[in-house]
Amino acid sequence: MPLDEQSSAPDEALLVLYANGDAVAARVLTARLLPRVLAQAQRLLGNRAEAEDVAQEAMLRLWRIAPEWRQGEARVTTWLYRVTANLCTDRFRKARGIGLDEAPEPEDERPGPAEGLQERARAEALQDALDRLPDRQREAVILRHIEELGNPEIAEIMEISVEAVESLVARGKRALAAELSARRDDLGYTDDG
Amino acid sequence: MDEAENTDPLKAYFDAGKAARPEPGDALMARIMADADRVQAERAAAPAPEPTPRRGRLGWLAAALGGWPAMAGLAAATVAGLWIGVSAPAGLTGIAQEVIAGSDGAYLIDLDPDATFVLADGGM
Repeated sequence: MPLDEQSSAPDEALLVLYANGDAVAARVLTARLLPRVLAQAQRLLGNRAEAEDVAQEAMLRLWRIAPEWRQGEARVTTWLYRVTANLCTDRFRKARGIGLDEAPEPEDERPGPAEGLQERARAEALQDALDRLPDRQREAVILRHIEELGNPEIAEIMEISVEAVESLVARGKRALAAELSARRDDLGYTDDG
Repeated sequence: MDEAENTDPLKAYFDAGKAARPEPGDALMARIMADADRVQAERAAAPAPEPTPRRGRLGWLAAALGGWPAMAGLAAATVAGLWIGVSAPAGLTGIAQEVIAGSDGAYLIDLDPDATFVLADGGM
């Protein structure tokens, strides 16, 4: 199938094309999905190099599962978000040897430059605060408020109920608000901009 | 989005976080495409798995008797035998009546070995 036709094809159809040996499908899928996978991994891990490794592993698992992909069972994005989150959790457990709900150390590496210094400072402050959240709260808040997914899809990704998602997001946001308000004076800006 | 979210003090942070989405570099793209091509090539090179025939109980019976062609012959013979047994042809009935009514020796066609002794004793 030509590239321009594949650009509008659903993820699931592209995955089937890839499994059938199409040479272009993987490129279209990667261009479409990798930014999300990388962003999720980087926000969960707070580290670019580790996030890239996780993104590569998640995509590799997608290539491997392609022939067995069952149409209509799950969305490719949902599956990828789940795999990425699980890979990040594994990294936390192995590398740091800490429990799920213990706060990881913040990393020095931060997302790329945003528009303007204040925007960049906010993004960095948010990442710092996210790094201090318990894993599940961080995952739920990122999926809800940065990836902007609906609660039912987040529930599917995290394999919990919608009510549990709402609870995690609410607790995560309270903790974020407390953390960020403590830094607000240091950063020297208000929240109305 | 409800009103509470519109006045969410965290909104500015989330907006900044969305704007700061990390972009994948060329090196990462290249690594991932290499993986995709390798997995695809491995799959193409691997021999297609032979479909294993699924056999139920009847399948095993058919195989034991020489396969489905043999089963078809057997089935035809069975049906024919059943038909002959259930609906005796008119001609056969006539022959049977002639044999029975036409001779007292009708018993002679009985292959029961005991009949020989009965005849020898003059029990007829």
